[in-house]
Amino acid sequence: MSAKSVRGLSPWSRRFIALGCLAWCLITIFPLYWVVVTAFKTPPGVVGGPTYIPFIDFTPTLQPFIDLYEGIRGAFFHTFLNSTMVGLSAALIATAVGAMAAYALVRFEFKVRLGAGLVFFAIALGGYLAFNAYLGLTRPQALLSAFPLALLLSIIANRVPLPGPILGNEDILFWFVSQRMFPPIVTAFALYLLYSEIGRLGFQLIDSFVGLTLCYIAFSLPIVVWLMRDFFEALPIEVEEAAMVDNVPSWRIFLGIVVPMSMNGLIATFMITLAFVWNEFLFALFLTNSRWQTLPILVAGQNSQRGDEWWAISAAALVAIVPMMVMAALLSRMMRSGMLLGAIK
Amino acid sequence: MMRNDPIKHVFIWPAVLVVLAISIFPLIYSLTTSFLSYRLIPPMPPRVVWLGNYVQLLQEPRFWNAILTTTLIAVIAVGLQYVIGFSVALALNARIPGERLFRVAFLLPMLLAPVAVALVARMMFNPTMGPLNQLLSQFGLVNLPFLTNGRWALACIIAVEVWQWTPFVILMLLAGLQTLPEDVYEAAELENASNWQQFWGITFPMMLPISAAVVFIRLIESYKIMDTVFVMTGGGPGVDTETLTLFAYQEGFKKFNLGYTSALSFLFLIAITIIGVTYLALLRPHLEKRR
Repeated sequence: MSAKSVRGLSPWSRRFIALGCLAWCLITIFPLYWVVVTAFKTPPGVVGGPTYIPFIDFTPTLQPFIDLYEGIRGAFFHTFLNSTMVGLSAALIATAVGAMAAYALVRFEFKVRLGAGLVFFAIALGGYLAFNAYLGLTRPQALLSAFPLALLLSIIANRVPLPGPILGNEDILFWFVSQRMFPPIVTAFALYLLYSEIGRLGFQLIDSFVGLTLCYIAFSLPIVVWLMRDFFEALPIEVEEAAMVDNVPSWRIFLGIVVPMSMNGLIATFMITLAFVWNEFLFALFLTNSRWQTLPILVAGQNSQRGDEWWAISAAALVAIVPMMVMAALLSRMMRSGMLLGAIK
Repeated sequence: MMRNDPIKHVFIWPAVLVVLAISIFPLIYSLTTSFLSYRLIPPMPPRVVWLGNYVQLLQEPRFWNAILTTTLIAVIAVGLQYVIGFSVALALNARIPGERLFRVAFLLPMLLAPVAVALVARMMFNPTMGPLNQLLSQFGLVNLPFLTNGRWALACIIAVEVWQWTPFVILMLLAGLQTLPEDVYEAAELENASNWQQFWGITFPMMLPISAAVVFIRLIESYKIMDTVFVMTGGGPGVDTETLTLFAYQEGFKKFNLGYTSALSFLFLIAITIIGVTYLALLRPHLEKRR
């Protein structure tokens, strides 16, 4: 991390490179600048053609934001609260649960027989079909009863010396991370059907806080486990070993030593998860309709609702963007330690 | 090193349970549904058709069109992201003036909601009131059909993808560049290797594993593209920019053709898996040579 690749560069090529960077920087910044200025324009200021500099080209106004707050273009304030609540709770729970799992994968040894995994899948699938066809249960009922049965039997199967390879921590990690590869539409659509059928049993999950948050937790977990595992692996083990000599129980080692030591990583992971949940569109589109709608859905809807009212659309987009801009500023400070590097190995 | 303590189950089970419940569960559900002919509107009792849905899909030109569109967007966008991202990362690593300012600016786009970015893009690409139109009008290109012509619309979507996700590539590659050992370059200097030779002989090969990972992540993510297209063109004009996810959404959520949509999402899953495995298989010999 030094001037290694610069040594041979002439001052001219350095200037040329800086110019290239500046160009890309302008391309990055200009659309953001544009949305900020447009949000403060009056309708005639937009329709009259592009204008660029406030107070010179046009007179700025706060009207678009007042309209937003008053709910002229949809319940923005309410939706903002929804997004905040779902985002914060999903990110918090996912970080906590994921960090625990990541710690377990780093410090404890797990052995899962491939056979047990197959047993789980076979019983979940077969049990579901059988319950549905022969016991006359409805589809979600069959699914919900096949699941614990499959889980129980596969745990028992794991104790029995089945033939086939034994999977270790690396494979469990791979399983977690591979969940991220799934096209979300596969899950989103099935989850929508499942939620609506569970809803018919009397427990509403569609358009509810629990349903949406649960789904976001599950979808953030792979990233959290991935990021946190590398972070925990880099921690020195000596402190923990010293504590173990003193017979400190594992959960106190985790809460009292490991968590404080990895606070930076936890915060960064929390923020990345929050950004992911805050911006997520597909699941919210499928799983909410009015009460628990999140910002991306409302913002996307601005487009078609009343035509090209760019001043209002800009203000709406800005509401969705600004919290993440603040986070980008915070995150860029933490990036300096290069903590994300471990995540891609 | 590794401890063995019953408490480990308390640590790992919550995560495993949630992921199992939310991702494996619906998978089984939609796998079985994909073999049924099952519609909600008009309501029809489920009927087993085995591979009928899959056969019907494979004969549907709209499906192949969606695959082609998605592949075009993913491959071109990721290619551009990689080339631009690598250049910018190299530049930032060379300590050009103003580097710190650039870092914050480069980080921004990837944290913004794709939906909001797409709305901003619609403003930029507006054929009469947008700033891009004004700029191009100076060169005599007035009122270009940015989002109303199929090819232009595809190019605009790719541009937005590149704008939003190049920062991710920059970030990852920059982190990789900073771990490269110094002494190799010193040796190359002694041999009087030019910058160009140093890049192709040292930097690029040593960055290959990290590049492979970054391109892989971006490729898989790009195949899922939906929100940007949804807002910018809605798949139009016609179905010219309809991606796989959008196609599935239209079939499932607008027509409530459940069996068909489940089959579609499974084909999608299979396609992604094939792409992922092929990519890794193609790259493996290059990666292992370096170890």
